[in-house]
Amino acid sequence: MKLAAVDYVILATYFAFVIGIGWMLRKKVSTSGDFLLSGRSVPVWITSLAFIAANLGAQELIGMAASGAKYGIMTAHFYWVGAIPAMLFMGIFMMPFYYGSKARSVPEYLKMRFDEKTRGYNAFTFAVMTVFSSGISMYALGLLLHLVLNWDFNVCVLASAAIVLAYTYLGGLTSAIYNEVLQFFLIVAGFAPLAILACAKAGGWHGIVSRLPANMTHSWKYMGSASQNPMGVELFGMVAGLGFVLSFGYWCTNFLVVQRAMAADSMSAARRTPLIGTIPKMFLPFIVILPGIAAVALAKMTGAGGAHLYDLPLKAGGTVKDYDQVLTTLMARFYPAGLLGVGLTGLMASFMSGMAGNVTAFNTVFTYDIYQSYIRKSAPDSHYLMVGRMTTIVGVALSIGAAYVARSYNNIMDLLQFVFGFVNAPLFATFLLGMFWKRTTAHGAFSGLVSGTVAASLTWGLTVAEGKGGIFGTLHTFPSVMAQNFWIAIAAFGTCFLVTVLVSLVTAPRTDRDMEGLVYGLTKIKHDEGAKWWQRPAPLAIFVSVLVIFLNIWFA
Amino acid sequence: MDLRVPSGWFFVILGAILVGMGLLQPDLRAPLTEIDINLYSGLSMLAFGGFLLLMARRAVRK
Repeated sequence: MKLAAVDYVILATYFAFVIGIGWMLRKKVSTSGDFLLSGRSVPVWITSLAFIAANLGAQELIGMAASGAKYGIMTAHFYWVGAIPAMLFMGIFMMPFYYGSKARSVPEYLKMRFDEKTRGYNAFTFAVMTVFSSGISMYALGLLLHLVLNWDFNVCVLASAAIVLAYTYLGGLTSAIYNEVLQFFLIVAGFAPLAILACAKAGGWHGIVSRLPANMTHSWKYMGSASQNPMGVELFGMVAGLGFVLSFGYWCTNFLVVQRAMAADSMSAARRTPLIGTIPKMFLPFIVILPGIAAVALAKMTGAGGAHLYDLPLKAGGTVKDYDQVLTTLMARFYPAGLLGVGLTGLMASFMSGMAGNVTAFNTVFTYDIYQSYIRKSAPDSHYLMVGRMTTIVGVALSIGAAYVARSYNNIMDLLQFVFGFVNAPLFATFLLGMFWKRTTAHGAFSGLVSGTVAASLTWGLTVAEGKGGIFGTLHTFPSVMAQNFWIAIAAFGTCFLVTVLVSLVTAPRTDRDMEGLVYGLTKIKHDEGAKWWQRPAPLAIFVSVLVIFLNIWFA
Repeated sequence: MDLRVPSGWFFVILGAILVGMGLLQPDLRAPLTEIDINLYSGLSMLAFGGFLLLMARRAVRK
C-alpha cells in the first residue's frame, strides 16, 4: 500500500488539531484535580463518547475486524452480551458509589470501603497493567504500519507517543477526553465507508449470508455446543464467562473507563455517561466487525478474469492466515488516495485514544494512590500537580519501553497478558460484595482477591487449549483458547466470591456510620423525578435494553 | 472551550479536502470501488462538520 501526498496532508491536519486542542485547554489546568480528574466539569455527551473511545484502541479495532473474519457475527457477543449489560449495570448500580464517595480513583474507593492493603494491591497491579497494555498496543500499531506501509518501527512508536505526550501533558485528563471524542468521530468517519463499501460489494447482508457457513452469520443459533460454532464456546461459558465476569470486571472496575464517567459534572451526568455510551457502542459492530465478515465473503467471489476479489492475508512465508491484517488490506482494496488517508488517520486516532486513556489513568493512580499514599503524604497541591505532570512523561516513557520489550520477547508478552487476566478476573466479585453487602470486611475482600487470582492461575496451569497451557498437568482440555479464558474468569470470580463471603463472616464488620455513601442501603440515591425520561438513568437503561435485545434477536 | 467548534472545523477541512479530490480526480478508483467515494464521503464530512458548527453557534446565542 502506498500513500499519496493528500493522505499525508490529512494525517498532518489531524495531528495539528490534536495538539491544538491540548494547547487551548492548557489554561484550564491550575490544580492537580484539574489535571488528573478534569475538575469534574465535563459535559455528559463528551464523557459518554470518551467512555467508549478510551476502550476503542487500535488493538480493539484491528482485533474486532480479525475476529469478524475468524468467527463471524458471534464476535458481536463482545458488544451485545458483554459490554452493553455491563455498562448499564455500571451506570445504574455502581456509579452512585464511585461518584458519591468522592473517591478520586477506583483504588481509592477500595481504600475507603475496605483498607490500605486492598487499595495498594489494586493500585500497584493496575499501574503495571496500564503501562504494559499501552506498550503492547504501541507495538501492535508499529508492527502493522511497518508491515503495511513500510514505515520505520522506531519512528512510528516514538512519533505517536510524542504526540500523545504533548496533548496529555498540556491539558491533562480534559485534553485526553476532548481528543477522545474527536478520535471517536474520526474512527467512525474513517471506517464506516469501508463497512458500507465492503458489504455492498459482497451483495449486502444477504449476499454475505449466502456465501458464508451458517454458523458465521448467526450469533445464537449454534451456541448449543462448543463444537458447532467457530469460537468453540458453549452457552454457559459465553454468558457467564464473557457476559458476566469478564465484561462486568472490565467495564465496572477498570479505572481507565470509570475515570471518564467520574469526570462528569454531576451525579446524574456520571450515571448517564455509560448509559448514553451504550447507544453508539451497540452499533459499533457494524463498523468494526462487519468489514471482517464481508472480507470472508469477498474472498469467495471472483471478478473479471476469474481472480478472487480479495484474498485473506497470510503470515509471511506461510499458509497460516494473518487475520490482524484484514482491516488494512481491505482498506487498500476499497479506499483511493484521500479516503485512504482518512482511514489510516482513523487507525492512528484509535491508537492514540487507547494510549491516552492508559496514560491518564496511570498518572492519576500513581499520583494519588501510590505517591500520595506511600511516598509523600501531605504536600501542597501544586506539588501533586507537578508529580502528575512528571508521571505523564514517565508513563509514556515506560510504555515505549514496554513496546520494545514486546518486540523482543513476544512470548513473554503473551504470558504477561495472561497474568493480568488473573489479577483482574476476580475484581468484580470484590466490588459486587463490597457495594451491595455491607457485611463484607476488608480482610474478606483482600483474601478473596488473592485467592481468586490463585484460582485463575491454577485453572490456567491445569487445563490445555489449542496445545497451550497445562504447565502443572492436564485435568481438562478446552476446545478453544477463548473457552479457556472464559472458564478461567468464572473460576476466579467464583473463588473470590466464596472466600470473600466466608472470611467476612468470621472477621469483625465495620459500623454502618463508617460506610455511608459507600454501600447500597446506607447511601441516598437521588432519582431526578423532575427530569425528562431520557435525562433519568433508569428509563434510559430500559430503552437501551430493548434496543440491544432487538439486535440480539435480529442476528440470532 | 466548546469542543464542537474545533471538531466542526476539523471535519469541514477534511470534507473540503476530500470533495476537492473527488472533483479534481473524479476517475480515481481503488481496485474494488466503482463510485467516486472521495466526493461522497467528503460531502458527508462537510455536512457533519457544518452541523457541529451550527450547534455550537446556537449554544452561544442562547
